[in-house]
Amino acid sequence: MSPSVAYGTDIDERTKAAEQSSTDVLTAPDIPWNLVIWNDPVNLMSYVSYVFQSYFGYSESKAHKLMMEVHKKGRSIVAHGSKEQVEQHAVAMHGFGLWATVEKAASGNETPGKGGRQRG
Amino acid sequence: MAKAFKYGLKGISGYLEPAERDLLRGLLDDVISMLESDARENEDPLAALIGLDMDVKQPSDRALLRLLPNVMKDDDGGSLEFRQLTERSVRENKIGALRAAALGLDKNELVLTPEDATRWSMALNDVRLVLAERLDIRDEADAEHIHSMQDWSQAEDVESYLALVYNFTTWLQESLVQAMLAARQAKS
Repeated sequence: MSPSVAYGTDIDERTKAAEQSSTDVLTAPDIPWNLVIWNDPVNLMSYVSYVFQSYFGYSESKAHKLMMEVHKKGRSIVAHGSKEQVEQHAVAMHGFGLWATVEKAASGNETPGKGGRQRG
Repeated sequence: MAKAFKYGLKGISGYLEPAERDLLRGLLDDVISMLESDARENEDPLAALIGLDMDVKQPSDRALLRLLPNVMKDDDGGSLEFRQLTERSVRENKIGALRAAALGLDKNELVLTPEDATRWSMALNDVRLVLAERLDIRDEADAEHIHSMQDWSQAEDVESYLALVYNFTTWLQESLVQAMLAARQAKS
């Protein structure tokens, strides 16, 4: 993702705050599909965080944490659910211009975000 | 000069000079025509009515593929099947946001409702994704190199001009998203 020069310091400060204050307990998926967001050098960090907050209803700190995971690790599981649910999320993410894919949840130990708020 | 978007009493507002509005309108129109270009004449009207597109293919243009990516990493068949069911509506949503943004460019002062702001952020993001493909931005180092070009006197060729345009849209979008985040915080 692309941090803006003008807001760079602010983002760094918020990262530290988010790391300190995040008390989210991440639960293992019980339904076997994941929504994955991939890093790209174009989407703004602020925009990705905004999309996670406005679409999934995630808190600012959770959205920020997932966004930083995308940025640093190259990808992050931001929601999970049935195949239909994560596909619906993927369509919405493509609408926002985020690079999203869906995949069957592996039994590995990657920590997913808690399930996204379902959209009607 | 354009003014950064900000959140205030009127909601989210911004200011663009006529030349900047013309530039943005051109960019928005370009992305609209990219997304519209494959409209087919001989398609099944019933399939069209319910949003299916059985003739859809994975886009060969990289910029278009970035706007309409495969939904599965290692399953081209599954991704194509998903495209048949969903690509038309993703295209139409994108075109809707791009058109709304273009229509809003009829005066220098922009005052955006929350819905306008969302459409604007989506439209600007799609414009930036397309420009980034044209500029061959593949990684963060490429992005930083492009970002370092801020001086319009550097606009010597098409690439440097595109880079400056890209940086302008990036700046505009960053200010818009910050205003949208401020609006969210004010509400909560």
